[in-house]
Amino acid sequence: MALNRKIAYIDLSTGKIEIKPIPIEIRRKFLGGRGLDAYLLYNHTKKGIDPLGPENVLLVSGGLLTATLASATARTHVMAKSPLGGMIGSANMGGFFAPELAWAGFHHLVIKGKAEKPVYLWIHNGKIEIRDARNIWGKTVTETQWAIREELGDEEIKSMVIGPAGENLVRFANVMTGIKNSGGRTGMGAVMGSKNLKAIAVRGTMDIKIAHPKEALEYNKRFIDQITSAKVNQTQGTLGTPFIWGATNSWGGIRCRNFQYNQQLYCDEIEPEAIDEVCTQTVGPYHMASCFGCQVHCRAKYRIPSGPYKGVYDEGPEYTSQGAFCGEPDCRSIETLLVGNHLVNQFGLDNLETGSLIAWAMELYELGILTDKETEGLELRFGNDEALLEMVKRIAFRKGWLGDTLAEGGLIASERIGKNSFDYLIQVKGVSNLHSDERATPALALNVATASRGSDHLRSRPAIDLYHLPEPVLRKIYSTPVPYDGPLSSEHTEYVGKPWQVFWQENCYMAVDCLGICKYHTVFLGATLPNFEDWPKVIYYNTGLEFTPRELWDIAERCNMIERLFNLREGLKREDPYRGDMLNHRYFDEPTRRGAPDVVGRVIDREKFRKMIDEFYSYKGLDENGVPKPETLKRLGLENEPSHLL
Amino acid sequence: MAEEKEGLTTAEVLRKTRTYGQVRCHNPSCLGRLQPEPGADRVKCPVCGMEFRVTWIKSGFPRIRGPVWDVNVKIAEEAFQRKMKEEKKDGPQ
Repeated sequence: MALNRKIAYIDLSTGKIEIKPIPIEIRRKFLGGRGLDAYLLYNHTKKGIDPLGPENVLLVSGGLLTATLASATARTHVMAKSPLGGMIGSANMGGFFAPELAWAGFHHLVIKGKAEKPVYLWIHNGKIEIRDARNIWGKTVTETQWAIREELGDEEIKSMVIGPAGENLVRFANVMTGIKNSGGRTGMGAVMGSKNLKAIAVRGTMDIKIAHPKEALEYNKRFIDQITSAKVNQTQGTLGTPFIWGATNSWGGIRCRNFQYNQQLYCDEIEPEAIDEVCTQTVGPYHMASCFGCQVHCRAKYRIPSGPYKGVYDEGPEYTSQGAFCGEPDCRSIETLLVGNHLVNQFGLDNLETGSLIAWAMELYELGILTDKETEGLELRFGNDEALLEMVKRIAFRKGWLGDTLAEGGLIASERIGKNSFDYLIQVKGVSNLHSDERATPALALNVATASRGSDHLRSRPAIDLYHLPEPVLRKIYSTPVPYDGPLSSEHTEYVGKPWQVFWQENCYMAVDCLGICKYHTVFLGATLPNFEDWPKVIYYNTGLEFTPRELWDIAERCNMIERLFNLREGLKREDPYRGDMLNHRYFDEPTRRGAPDVVGRVIDREKFRKMIDEFYSYKGLDENGVPKPETLKRLGLENEPSHLL
Repeated sequence: MAEEKEGLTTAEVLRKTRTYGQVRCHNPSCLGRLQPEPGADRVKCPVCGMEFRVTWIKSGFPRIRGPVWDVNVKIAEEAFQRKMKEEKKDGPQ
């Protein structure tokens, strides 16, 4: 059954491998996936370690429900101390890897040390081997996956790999599975590269016993109906995630020219429908695919329609690629978008971080802070498609001074570049902001400022805040499973009620990350999708474990707090512009210039923002400095951490 | 567990609040929904004047494809100028 999936400790320095069961009492406290990974990271690392040193620990996991009969439980989670911001590093990706890992007998891998030479792990039906990877070192993402399949003689092998960016220790390198499933943000690919670990290959045929199979299937039908009938998922199944970028750009909520504008004008060529047309023309009408066990089918397939890469196959682009290769650098070519997406997929680069840093460098170049000397003659101006794609290559291979500098991530790069370059770096905790502009949306600004892995939209963003939902609907959602009778506002430019929404979403997203469920199957983009009240049944029917909605909330809160403890141990300070819950000054000082009439002219009010943080901290049980109060740790059962139970 | 299976969860209860055949004006204070004519490729907000290009996911399911740029850019520029003048007069918002 799902509960007998094991945890493996793999020391790449010594070659020692130890396999243990996961005790039920640990499951009841941390469930699995990201929550249990956070516990393991806090317990197996020491303060101040070098993120790219052998003492860092790489965690790889599936969720509690992975490979069961529950829908969309395909997510793989990867965690370590981040080489990008020095805080918690965490990546979450779809695809087929985590279910295969579960069928091979494992839910969690704890990878320590550093191999002397390039290696990969081969995990199959309860066994783990460390194998020589010298012959695949240097290969791209898909070349690596196929080389492993050929070497082991099984086309069904699923691999989590790094590309050249991870090998070159680019601090925002991804781990990747499949063609475009990306474990992005916070540089988990660089951590793999620092361990000389090129790939983890898995193949499993071990059955997973379902506790109540008939009921699990019956309930899943109900679950699927709820998910597939939602308008947002029907749109995703038609256009993929680019529809999010298109809608956000329409009202003025995206970043353009780094942070100078909040809307890209006249960009019809890269709208979601235009991308869909290319997919239809080059792949055919049935060009949408899914991850394991998902009914939404949001992954598009395409071939590049023109130019030097004409005919090359890839998948996506996701909305983050639109931000990276269109909005932020202000490029409007669909070919650039599709080629850029292809390059980051093959190199194993974080598209969001790559595009953000290049757009930052473009602004610095136009301001004269960077010159032709640093760019080595490259005219790094906004709208220069050729320069954009050239910089992607330079970063992945650390070519030239600027390529090498940007590969270090924004914080180190701003020190190297000097002058006042940091003032233009749109980041939180060293991680570049999403391509969204939150100056008109205080709730979303609070979310990116306080997200545990650095600026991030997938940690606590109340995206439904943008839907103008009637207040009674908001109250129904945000008063379950914990009562809330404070203010709520349908207006996304307001400040009232937003801290509670962010707190609620933080716990909601942690819960799905522990269970292994995709966020498109919960209250992220759709207000009527499953959440705390729906999950206990899924868990019970599939695993036999009983939880109340409130207990799941408490677990999520505990797991979020252990991530907070890790960050505090690594130096998080509330208003530190480098390592704090703080936004770039431009949020407060430069008004938005584009978009809907109620959006233009907006800044975040500094004092109201401080009050939002205070209120958010109070819900989390933190003091005014963002440190958990002793009674909070006791309430969450974390007063003795690190407890070294696993 | 058996008792819970019979009842509807909050997410399921809220399903009846879903709206069909409508889109939302992208201006934050225009809380109403716009209902494009079947097959229409444009819709205009009667409150703020913003105009949008419309596409159809399927019959009866419209989606805003994007702004009618010339119309909405002009509205945005006017709003920006007005707000900047107000800010100079009254101080920051």
